[in-house]
Amino acid sequence: MKRDPERDLAIVAGWRTPFCKAQGPLQGAAAADLATHVFREVLDRTGFPAAQIDEVILGCAGPDAREANVARVAALRAGVPAAVPAVTVMRNCASGMESLLAAQQRLRAGDGRAFLIGGVESMSNFPLLMGERLVKFFTRLGKARSLVARLRALAGFRFSALKPRIAIVEGLTDPTTGLMMGHTAENVARLFGIDRMAMDRYALESHQRAAQAQRAGRFAQEIAPLTAAPRHDAWLADDDGVRTEQTLEALQRLRPVFDRREGDVTVGNACQVTDGAAAMLCMSEAMAQEQGLRPLAVVRGHARAGLDPAVMGLGPVHATPPALAQAGIAFSDLDLVEINEAFAAQVLGCQAAFASARYAQQHLGLSHAVGELVPSKLNVNGGAIALGHPIAATGARLVLTLAHELRRRNLHWGLATLCIGGGQGQAVVLEAA
Amino acid sequence: MNDTTSQPRNDAPAPPSALVPCTVDADGIAEVRLGRPDETVVTLTRERILALADTFAALARDPRVRGVLIAGPCPGMFCAGADINLIAAIDTPAEGAAAAAQGRQTFQLLQQLKVPVVAAIEGPCVGGALELALFCDVRVASDHAATQIGLPEVKLGIVPGFGGTQNLARLVGLPTALDLILQGKLLKPKPALKQGLIDRLVPSPRLLQAARDELQKQIAKGRKHRRRRLRGAAFWLSKTPLRALAARAARKELGKGQARFYPAPKAALELCLQAFTLPPAQGFEAEAKALGEMIATPVSKGLTRLFFLTERSKKLGKGDGARNLTRTMVVGGGVMGAGIAGLLAQKGCPVRLCDVSGSALARARARLWQDLGKRLRRRNLERHEAQAILDRMATATEWGNLRGVDLWLEAVVEDLGVKQKLIAEAIARGLPEHALIATNTSSLPVDKMAANVPNPERVVGIHFFNPPEKMPLIEVIRGPRTSDAAIATACKLAVRLGKFPIVVKDAPGFLVNRCLAPYLNEAARLLVTGTDPEAIDQAMLDFGMPMGPCRLLDEIGYDVAAKVSDVMHKAFPERMVPNPLFAAMVAAKALGSKSGGGMFAVDGKGPGPGRKVLATLREQAGAGPTASRSELHTRLLYPMIDEAYRCLDEGIVASEQDLDLGLVMGIGFPPFLGGITPFATREGLQVIVTALDSLARTVDPRFAPADGLRRRAVQ
Repeated sequence: MKRDPERDLAIVAGWRTPFCKAQGPLQGAAAADLATHVFREVLDRTGFPAAQIDEVILGCAGPDAREANVARVAALRAGVPAAVPAVTVMRNCASGMESLLAAQQRLRAGDGRAFLIGGVESMSNFPLLMGERLVKFFTRLGKARSLVARLRALAGFRFSALKPRIAIVEGLTDPTTGLMMGHTAENVARLFGIDRMAMDRYALESHQRAAQAQRAGRFAQEIAPLTAAPRHDAWLADDDGVRTEQTLEALQRLRPVFDRREGDVTVGNACQVTDGAAAMLCMSEAMAQEQGLRPLAVVRGHARAGLDPAVMGLGPVHATPPALAQAGIAFSDLDLVEINEAFAAQVLGCQAAFASARYAQQHLGLSHAVGELVPSKLNVNGGAIALGHPIAATGARLVLTLAHELRRRNLHWGLATLCIGGGQGQAVVLEAA
Repeated sequence: MNDTTSQPRNDAPAPPSALVPCTVDADGIAEVRLGRPDETVVTLTRERILALADTFAALARDPRVRGVLIAGPCPGMFCAGADINLIAAIDTPAEGAAAAAQGRQTFQLLQQLKVPVVAAIEGPCVGGALELALFCDVRVASDHAATQIGLPEVKLGIVPGFGGTQNLARLVGLPTALDLILQGKLLKPKPALKQGLIDRLVPSPRLLQAARDELQKQIAKGRKHRRRRLRGAAFWLSKTPLRALAARAARKELGKGQARFYPAPKAALELCLQAFTLPPAQGFEAEAKALGEMIATPVSKGLTRLFFLTERSKKLGKGDGARNLTRTMVVGGGVMGAGIAGLLAQKGCPVRLCDVSGSALARARARLWQDLGKRLRRRNLERHEAQAILDRMATATEWGNLRGVDLWLEAVVEDLGVKQKLIAEAIARGLPEHALIATNTSSLPVDKMAANVPNPERVVGIHFFNPPEKMPLIEVIRGPRTSDAAIATACKLAVRLGKFPIVVKDAPGFLVNRCLAPYLNEAARLLVTGTDPEAIDQAMLDFGMPMGPCRLLDEIGYDVAAKVSDVMHKAFPERMVPNPLFAAMVAAKALGSKSGGGMFAVDGKGPGPGRKVLATLREQAGAGPTASRSELHTRLLYPMIDEAYRCLDEGIVASEQDLDLGLVMGIGFPPFLGGITPFATREGLQVIVTALDSLARTVDPRFAPADGLRRRAVQ
């Protein structure tokens, strides 16, 4: 593929909040609070004049009603001038990575050169919604004019109407298939014969790798610590989902949560529910050079793909080949790979599908398997099973972690990819700069 | 329709004064401007009041006039009230009462007009200006940012004299009037509308049209006054004997603490009551008389002087080369650094507060959030504003990129080496050449910090006092190489932060700590030689200090006091010999309020753990008798006066005014005295020199006054 420094997007720098378990230390922070923090840190730490940013693009899967275009709210609060536009993008789990792809596409289309991008999710603040019956009750009450009508409307109240709709559960359920995300993971596991032991082993390794990275201070490089409402009195600098003492036995004791009788997916081998945000400053390679900035990595290829929502976990397998093609490299050229750990079953499923010639022929229209993905290249610092999966923040974190790790190990090619609820996959190919 | 084509006024007396331009349009609306269009600040001088009297009299005779509109000279200015020079120049009660009556009678001409009068208020409408507006029939105000409405007279030690107490009390009721007048509160237009001071609030560009509409409404109704009745509690607490309740509550407040030194609020309270007990004419007379009495008091003279000093200080921010700072960085997240960063954020300046300790940064943020929470609960802040303030204060262990920073300020431990290293690091990290390098040191030479800075003219001391949010003074320290532009920029910042800057020379203790040293040192010695903390503190409270020296020591902390005392001793070995108390308190780990109490318990009530240390010291030294009131007065205050004049003679400050402002704002020297130099003059410099000489003979040579003081005493 031809390289063009005016059209290739360089990741100049990025930071994230620590990822903290939902209803934990970050629960008082709204999504905009988290995003404001990472935006401001990126601006302060790079010293890049915010007025030169062409657009702010932020992924968020569940913005609060009070800050529907959370990108704009956070950009203004972080001191980005009012003249710089901002958009919130949403592609479920890939929303954070979508911001990067959106920036790359704008750059190629000639719509701007510098972008502040990222992803944020405050899963603590996913709301409880009023049930339909309660809404109806209030509507009737509101319309009732006479005293009699009002009393009649009041008499229509039933306590059972108070049962709320839980946004987080509904959000993680696929409306076209009626399956919860965990069920789709069970489907993938059954397709490739992945058993409970394999899943738990994988989960254990995720915790171990993350713990090691944390001890070695590798995450500290990418984390900008913060304080959170309501009291702002604690300095939050570390991801709190990593379990250094995790044992296989403890994982094995957990009960399956989705398919309670025959299933293998437990809370232990699935990603955690987490709050967090990540942001990056991106611009054309040429502009980075003009500004005297040394980028972390350059985006060489990206792709999105769709597949059957019932096995959405295999999304990365579908998105990776076109992304590699765009970058002009082979699967075997990849030095490091980040696949989001929505579920251990799904990561293992991707590994199996990548290596399967039959899957490639049946679903990807390829004559041979995509390639062998060795564990030593995959998720070397652990993943969402240990760190958590703040939905839209994850895509940005994967890219950030991958870029840092490529530089640290002095390696060249990296792939970050994730599966997307609703049956999609998204991938970016990074070249270390 | 609202163009102001002026028609020749044949029947007007001599050309209507240019001071208050007046035009009458075809509709018969007379528009009176309180000043010429080029006057951006309008005050009620004697001439302007005369001009207003002429104008109002002419309007009364003009048959074309159907309504009168009164407005300021230009957008953003109505009138800033009576001319302070006029207030300062009046020395006798009779003169004061006459001036008050004259002003009020001028405004009363408006009331006597047959046609309605509407005031269009935008910008300051304070003191005499509000009193003028109160004689109008309708008040319309704009939401301009500069709009402020109130009667701040008590802050100058006087009472409103142009009918303000009477009219305001009748307009808004006794409780609200007392609340506003006794504290001299100024209201923004929204609360002013809510409290009933104004009748209508409109967007700034529509002000004049809205005022004309109101005028037309009154004309159409054929009515002059707009009827307004007090309702609810305001009615019962004003128009019935129940008003005694409101008065009692207010009196109780005025008996507390230092309020006893200020007679004006008490006089204003009685006047507000008389608005409901006396017929208007008598009420106005009583008011004029009270103003006359107040204006001649030394308290008023002292406060007026202080007002001039503060205005003078604010002008320092407009010096040549003063730049506006847009991005700041504060290094050091301790009490001072956190307070300074919080203050910057509150005043709209983005700041990055850095410290190696995350927990210190969390404390800083928690503290700011708590303060904001208090303001939210008091409703003087809205949620999004609080959020914006917190957003402006970034806290991080990483300095980040210094490219856009134009003020870099350190507030780390008082260690020259550490400070120099940090400054070097800032420069190495690319702090822009134009950025100001500031230190919040209280004891180290600023010039030494500039030692290795390639362009040392930008190194300046900006000395905040603890707590920075509350203390009104900032010492801007000029090192020998500091440029005028850097000084002006630092002063401008101080003014933006709502503080009063004084420029001081780079010398040990600067001004405030140096003058405080003999005072606190002497208090400690008196303690050790047998005088009780209660007696010492009471003597100084009765003198007018906001806090006694022993309590102050508890608050400062004995560790800090010992450290400062060392610095001062090194600089002035004969005069500032350390006392034994500070070291003993530090040794006993009784550091003051921060460690569970010093001479007093932490809340200031009852004795604290430091008394044991004191008892031991007294045993060792063989304590003498308790000092008398007059001895306390002499020993505590006279050495401070001597030190202040030394500072003046050594050029630490440039003028007596700086001394006065610095000590009033820096240590709370009684404001009603107008500063330390008027106090010294009042005591008699010769008396002070004699007393110090005698102390030097009988107690210790350290009391010997400086030659400068002697020389002044002879003159």
